[in-house]
Amino acid sequence: MRRSAGLRHFLLSWLEPLSGVVALAVGWQIASMVAANPTLVPPLQTIWGALVDLAHGDLVNDIVASLFHLAGGFGTGAILGLLLALLCARFELVAAVIDPIAEFLRPISAIAWIPIAILLFGVGQGVPMFLIFYASLFPIFVNALDGIRRVDPTLVRAAEMLGASRRLVVTHIVLPAALPAVFAGARLSLGVGWVAMVAGELVGADTGLGYRIEYFQEFFSMEGVMATIVVIGIIGYLLDALLRLLQSSLLRWSPAHGGSR
Amino acid sequence: MDAAMSKPIIRLDAVSKTFQAPRGGGMVEALREISLDVRPGEFLSIIGPSGCGKSTLLSLVAGFLSPSAGEILFEGKPITGPAPERGVMFQDYALFPWRTVIGNIEFGPFARGVGRRARRDKAGELAELVGLKGFEDRYPHELSGGMRQRCALARLLANEPKVWLMDEPLAAVDLQTRIILQDELLRLWGDGVESADRPTVVFVTHGIDEAVLLADRVVVLARRPGRIKAVIDIDLPRPRAPLRSVPEVARIVDQLWSVIRDEAAMAIAEEGN
Repeated sequence: MRRSAGLRHFLLSWLEPLSGVVALAVGWQIASMVAANPTLVPPLQTIWGALVDLAHGDLVNDIVASLFHLAGGFGTGAILGLLLALLCARFELVAAVIDPIAEFLRPISAIAWIPIAILLFGVGQGVPMFLIFYASLFPIFVNALDGIRRVDPTLVRAAEMLGASRRLVVTHIVLPAALPAVFAGARLSLGVGWVAMVAGELVGADTGLGYRIEYFQEFFSMEGVMATIVVIGIIGYLLDALLRLLQSSLLRWSPAHGGSR
Repeated sequence: MDAAMSKPIIRLDAVSKTFQAPRGGGMVEALREISLDVRPGEFLSIIGPSGCGKSTLLSLVAGFLSPSAGEILFEGKPITGPAPERGVMFQDYALFPWRTVIGNIEFGPFARGVGRRARRDKAGELAELVGLKGFEDRYPHELSGGMRQRCALARLLANEPKVWLMDEPLAAVDLQTRIILQDELLRLWGDGVESADRPTVVFVTHGIDEAVLLADRVVVLARRPGRIKAVIDIDLPRPRAPLRSVPEVARIVDQLWSVIRDEAAMAIAEEGN
């Protein structure tokens, strides 16, 4: 009984999301058949062919380049965001200075900075990295600061009573208590960072998946563009899945995240 | 009567505490001119109606708050902040949710720089002592209320504090668990065992029977502002656990109740408004 229920649950958990993908693919195929200009909506087998070509060509280099941009931009953005949040939570004065700047910059899309980024860094690694950095800085900063400010003051008192120094309170009480919020921010940051990366590579770089889209566009290869877009979607999904995995293993103690054993 | 002669371990000298009420309210006088000597090794209970400042009093002795007026001395020296020699058990346990039972118990020794091996061994022993053997690797959210309280007690014991400050530690557990934990608390404190290094307990509760059963002296606070209304010696023999159903206990509870009844009635009337 239990086993078959488990199997059903497993199948459903895969079939449900898969059914949406299948519906999308069928819709695309129909559109390609009725479209006046099939080059604009290439059928699936053409996209698949382009994907295979891509895999035999520069795909690995493109992915490595993109992940390198992401690591540099997201890494610095996440670390700076977290540090700024700690400083703002600790020092009222820092918060008073940083808060208005952050609130002003936050609604400005990273994409708006492309012209300035190209002027500053030239076409190359710098533009996508800067854009990813800019996009990922704010979600993690805002979430981490909120998480740190919500730390239960009784836990801080308990640690102090047990003999913890101020530094130990930060590293062993405040940071772990704020970790769920930091993770929520990191996932948002990674998402918007990935979006900003494609935009930055599209116009400001000569490597990466975004650059590959631009390359195919110049040859008017819509199937090449579509194949690259599919790859971008899959890797973006996998990166979030990776972060979710890390989240549930690090937050095993939290009933809201890791769940009970 | 040695204890009464010796120097107090904690001395409150005309201690007052005034708060700024939240959201632009005026000043609230939580405690007014509290003077009290706590004797080394005694079990002192503090009772009083809600809003009488019992928890504030405990926070002052813990060093989480500082008095608005007056002075609090620990072993003759003013209290400047929280310290491991004055361990606190919080009403809502205040366990670290990201640390396991062992991780919580060993936090005090860890914070004071005790080596990994020594603090692990000690934490393991304490887990067994409070009845958490087999649950060492559980996280707090996987424990029952009673087990969380045992874990909080073991965490407090790990630092071997001279004073146990307990803020309604058994208020959130069910009646059976409370009775069991009262007995275990007495046992761990050293009830009925005369010893020079027995810890001093300041136990805040709203249960009169609990206060009488556990304590050597009961301090009754009056409210708004919190003042000492009476200090009553509980002349019952120790160990206390077997006295749970003795008529003498009920008589003292009645006597105490008559002292605080008017206050309690006033508290209810005010909250009703």
